[in-house]
Amino acid sequence: MSVVEKSQPNFASDQEVRWCPGCGDFAILSQMKKIMPTLGVKPENVAFVSGIGCSSRFPYYLETYGMHGIHGRAPAIATGLKRMRPDLQVWVVTGDGDALSIGCTHLLHALRRNVDIKILLFNNRIYGLTKGQFSPTTPPGLVTSSTPGGTAHEPLHPLSIALASNATFVARSVDTNARHLGDVLRRAAAHRGAAFVEIYQNCHIFNDGAFDHAKDAAVREDHTVELVHGQPLVFGKERNKGIRLVGTDLEVVELDNGRSAGDLLVHDEASQTSAIAQMLAGMEHPRMPEVLGVLRDIDLPTHNDLMPDDTVSVAARADKINQLLETGETWTVGG
Amino acid sequence: MTFVVVESCIKCKHTDCVAVCPVDCFYEGENMLVIHPDECIDCGVCEPECPVDAIRADTEPGLEKWLELNAELAGVWPVITEQKDPPSDAHLWKDTENKFELLSRNPGDG
Amino acid sequence: MNECQQVEPVVRGSAQNAHSVVVRFAGDSGDGMQVAGSQVAVTSALMGNDIATFPDFPAEIRAPKGTPAGVSGFQVHFASSDVLTPGDQVDVLVAMNPAALKVNLDAVKPHGTIIVDVDAFDRKGLRLAKYENNPIEDGSLGEYQVVEAPITSQTRAAVAEAGVGHKIATRCRNFFAMGIVYWLYGRDLDATIRFIDTRFSEEVAQADKLALTSGWNFGETTEAFERSYVVPPAKPKPGTYRNVTGNEALAFGLVTAAYLSGKELFYSAYPITPASDILHKLSRFSECGVRTFQAEDEIAAICSAIGASFGGALGVTGSSGPGIALKTEALGYAVMLELPLVVINVQRGGPSTGLPTKVEQADLFQAVMGRNGEAPMPVLAASGPSDCFETVIEAWRIATKLMTPVMVLSDAFTANGAEPWNYPDIRTLEPISIDHPKAMTHGEPFMPYERDEWLARPWALPGTEGLTHRIGGIEKQNGSGAISYDPQNHETMVNLRAQKVKNARDLMTSLEMEGERSGELLIVSWGGMRGTCREAVKRARGEGKSVSHIHLRHLNPFPKDLGDLLRDFKQVIVAELNSGQLLQLLRAEYLVDASGLNKVRGQPFRIDDIAAQIDTSLEEKN
Repeated sequence: MSVVEKSQPNFASDQEVRWCPGCGDFAILSQMKKIMPTLGVKPENVAFVSGIGCSSRFPYYLETYGMHGIHGRAPAIATGLKRMRPDLQVWVVTGDGDALSIGCTHLLHALRRNVDIKILLFNNRIYGLTKGQFSPTTPPGLVTSSTPGGTAHEPLHPLSIALASNATFVARSVDTNARHLGDVLRRAAAHRGAAFVEIYQNCHIFNDGAFDHAKDAAVREDHTVELVHGQPLVFGKERNKGIRLVGTDLEVVELDNGRSAGDLLVHDEASQTSAIAQMLAGMEHPRMPEVLGVLRDIDLPTHNDLMPDDTVSVAARADKINQLLETGETWTVGG
Repeated sequence: MTFVVVESCIKCKHTDCVAVCPVDCFYEGENMLVIHPDECIDCGVCEPECPVDAIRADTEPGLEKWLELNAELAGVWPVITEQKDPPSDAHLWKDTENKFELLSRNPGDG
Repeated sequence: MNECQQVEPVVRGSAQNAHSVVVRFAGDSGDGMQVAGSQVAVTSALMGNDIATFPDFPAEIRAPKGTPAGVSGFQVHFASSDVLTPGDQVDVLVAMNPAALKVNLDAVKPHGTIIVDVDAFDRKGLRLAKYENNPIEDGSLGEYQVVEAPITSQTRAAVAEAGVGHKIATRCRNFFAMGIVYWLYGRDLDATIRFIDTRFSEEVAQADKLALTSGWNFGETTEAFERSYVVPPAKPKPGTYRNVTGNEALAFGLVTAAYLSGKELFYSAYPITPASDILHKLSRFSECGVRTFQAEDEIAAICSAIGASFGGALGVTGSSGPGIALKTEALGYAVMLELPLVVINVQRGGPSTGLPTKVEQADLFQAVMGRNGEAPMPVLAASGPSDCFETVIEAWRIATKLMTPVMVLSDAFTANGAEPWNYPDIRTLEPISIDHPKAMTHGEPFMPYERDEWLARPWALPGTEGLTHRIGGIEKQNGSGAISYDPQNHETMVNLRAQKVKNARDLMTSLEMEGERSGELLIVSWGGMRGTCREAVKRARGEGKSVSHIHLRHLNPFPKDLGDLLRDFKQVIVAELNSGQLLQLLRAEYLVDASGLNKVRGQPFRIDDIAAQIDTSLEEKN
C-alpha cells in the first residue's frame, strides 16, 4: 500500500471501527490518518478529545493519546489539557448536537479564548447515535423521529457561530472530498490558536443526501465556491459564475454576461473584521452556492499566551510558598 | 487498510457496490471493477452489496496479488460513479472458479 | 513578625481580668463590620489570646440600608485559654443601627453589654427596623448594660481635621466603634494602625486613625462603662502563628500539595458563594506553579480540571452544593477514567440556591452517593479553618495513590471563620511521591488499566513514547482499557473501583478521641462542628459525666476502627447540621442504634445545644 511511508509513524490504532458501513466518518478518519504522518509531530505528542455521539468515537481509532469525553464537554476538557500541556497538539472532534446543543457554551468560550486546539465539527444535521432526532442544524421541514410533521425551527449555522465567537481560524470542508479535506485539515493543524472546521458529513442512515449539492461530482461545482485567499470568488463547472458584493448583499453573476472576474469579491481570509466572512458563511443552498475552504485565518494571542507564566522551579517554590504563609500578621510563641 | 475486488468479479461486474460507495473509488475495466486503495475509506458499505462476494478487506490473508492489481488498474481505468446493468451472461459465470486468465485489461466505459 | 510576649496588655486603673470574651459587631452590610471584627481578631491573636471568628453576612451585597435584611455581623471570641468555637452568646454587641440591634439581640448574654450608635436610632432608623418604640427608651433593654454612644456624630467631628468629605467621614464609624471595644478590653492599637496605613490612601488613613483614637477616648472618658477588662494571653503550643480562614487554608494546602508532589496546580472554578475566595487567593499564586481558570460554567470547571489531570497536573475544581450538582456527570466520568482529581465543596444551606451565605452540612449524601451508576469516591471533611490545609493535602495524597477523584467538604462556617494557625515550614512536610510509567520503545503493548497492589491503574502522561492510549466514559476492559460491554467485566470493574476506594482506609491515621473508647455516651461529629462538640464534651467530662467524642474526617470510606468503637457505647448521638445524613450512613453501615442531634437553621451548633443533648441523653438512661 502506498498510503504511509515506512519511515513515517502509523497513526492507526488496533481498535475495530464501529461506525455504520458507508458513514462519512470513515472518510474523515481516512484523511486524518493520511495527513497526521505528514505534520512532523510524533503520535505521543498528539491528543484527540471528543464528546459524545457517533463522531466522538474518533479518538479510539487513532494511535495517539485520547479522551472520549462526556456529551458536549470536549472543548472544556481540551482547554484544561492544553493549558497544562502546551507541548501537545490537541484536536477536538465533535458533532452538531454535541457542539451546538448540549455543549454550545464550551464551543463559544474555547473559540473566544483562542485556546490553541483544533476543533472538527462533523455536521450531519441529525442525531445519529440516538436514532434520528432533529439536531440544531437540521433544516426546517425535515421529518425526523421526534418531528413526524417536519422540523419546525430555523437551524444554527456553525460557521456564523464560530465567527461570532471571534474564532481565529474558520473553515469548511466535505467528508468525501479527500483532496479538499486534507488541505483544510493541514491548514487547521498549522494554525496557532483555536481552529474551527465544519465538515459536511453524510449520515446515510438517518439523513442521507443532506449534502448532495456539495458532494455529488455532477453538481457540486455549481453549488459550491472554493475559497482561495487573494482570488476572486469564481465557481461553476464551466468556471463562468462568480460572487459580487452589491451594497450590503452578495449576488451570483454570470461571467460571460459582460462581467469579468475583476468585478467579483476577492477573498481575504486575513481580514481583521469578520463582516465579509459572516456574509460568506450566510450563503446557503439553494439560494446561493455554499463556500468551502478557509473563511478566516488571523493571528491573535492564544489562551496560554494571555495567562500568567511566571512559575519558578519546584525547588525554588518552597521558599515562595513559605513567604505566602508568612504574609500578613504573624506571631511567635516561645517554647 | 482498504477493501479490494477479487477474482469473482471477473465477467460478473454487477456494480451494486458503485451505488453505495460514498467516495466513488470504484474503477471500471471491460469485465471487472477495482477499488482505488488510496481513495477507499475502509467504511465497508460495499462489501455486503456484492452478489458474488467479490469484495474483501485487505486484512484477509493471501490477497496481496489482488491488492497490487487493484492499485495498478485503478490508475489506468476510468472511475465509475453510477450503477449499470450487469453483462447479460453474468449469472453463467457466478460460480466459475479460476477466472483470472479471463481478466481483460482493457478499460471500461466509466 | 511579632513576639507576643512583648505586647503588654493595656491596663486601666479599674481593669479587671476576664478569661474569655465574645464581641459581635453588627451593622449594615456596607458599615465595615467584617473589617472591625477581623481587626479585633488579629489584634487579640497578636496579644497572645486564642481566637475564633464567625462572619455572618446576608446573601445580598447591599440589601436595603437600615433594614434587618441587610444586617451584617462579625463575631470574634478571644480568650486566655484554648478557643474551640466563636462562642455561643456575646458579651458585647456593637449595634450600628436599630436593625442590627433587632437581629442580634437574642445572641446577647443576660446582663451583657450593648453599645449602640444613638445617632442611628432616629425616626427613620426605627421605622426601617420596624420598631414602634425606641428600644433604648422604652425599657425593653432593661436587663442589659446599654452604652449610648453618639458614634456617627462623634466620628464626623473627630475626622474633620483630616479634611475628608462627609461620605468618607461617615464611613469611618466602624473604626470609632472599634476604638471603644479596644479600650474596653485593653486591645493594642498597633496592628490596626499598620493595617490602616497599608490599606488606605493617606487622607483616608488619617481619618480612620482619628476615628479609632476618638473611640478609644470615648471609652476612657465617658462614664458609661463600669470598668475595662484585661484578657491575659493564652498558652498555646510554641510555634509561629498566623490567622487563617478555611478558604485561605484550602488555597495554601493546594499550592503545598502541588509542591509536595512536584506538580503544577490547575484550579478551575465558576464564581459561587462561599467558595469563590479559593479562586481569588490562588489566582495570586501563579509564581508557585498555580494555573487558575475561571470557567464558563461549573461543568467546564470540572471538565477542564479533568483534562489537566490527564495531562499530568494536579487538577482541582471547587464549588458549593449547587455547583457540585452541575458537576455530577463529570464526577462519574472522573471515577470511570480513574484519574486523580480533587473536588472541593464549600457547603451552604440548600436545596437549590437555599441560604447562600449560611452554614449547613447537608451535602454529605450528595458527596458520598450523588452520582449515576456505582460511582464511589473518597470523601474527606475539614474540621475547621486550619484543618483545611491538611485535609486537602491528604486528599491529593489519596487521589494520586488510588487514581481516583476525591471530594473535600468544607462549609460556610469553616470557609469564612478564622483561627490562629501554627503553620508549618512546608519543606518539613512529607513529599507525595508519584510514579508515572516510563516510555516503552520496543512495541510491547501498554496496559492502561493494569492495577497495582492498591488496585490503582498507571498514570501515563501524554508525551511519553509507547504509552499512547485512549480513555473515556464507556466501560473499559480491565487491563487493556479497550471498550468492553462484557457483562462479567463490568461487574469486575464495578467491584474493583469500589474496593479501590475502600483501600483508602489503609491510608488513614487512627481515630482521634476525646474521652474513653467505651462507655455510656458517644458524641459523633464531622466537618466544621468539631470545636463545638469537643468543647461541650470537655465541659461535661469536667462535670464528671460519662461522655466521649469522636470527630470524623473520613466520611467515605469510614475509618477501620469506627464500627467497634460505635458498638462499645450504650448511646451514640450524631451531631450534624442536616436532617441526619451521617446518622443514616452509620446506621446502614454498622447496624448501630444511633440517634441524631440535628439543626438546619443556617447557623452552627452552639456549645449549649450539645451540652443540653448530653444532659438529656444521660438523664433518659437513668
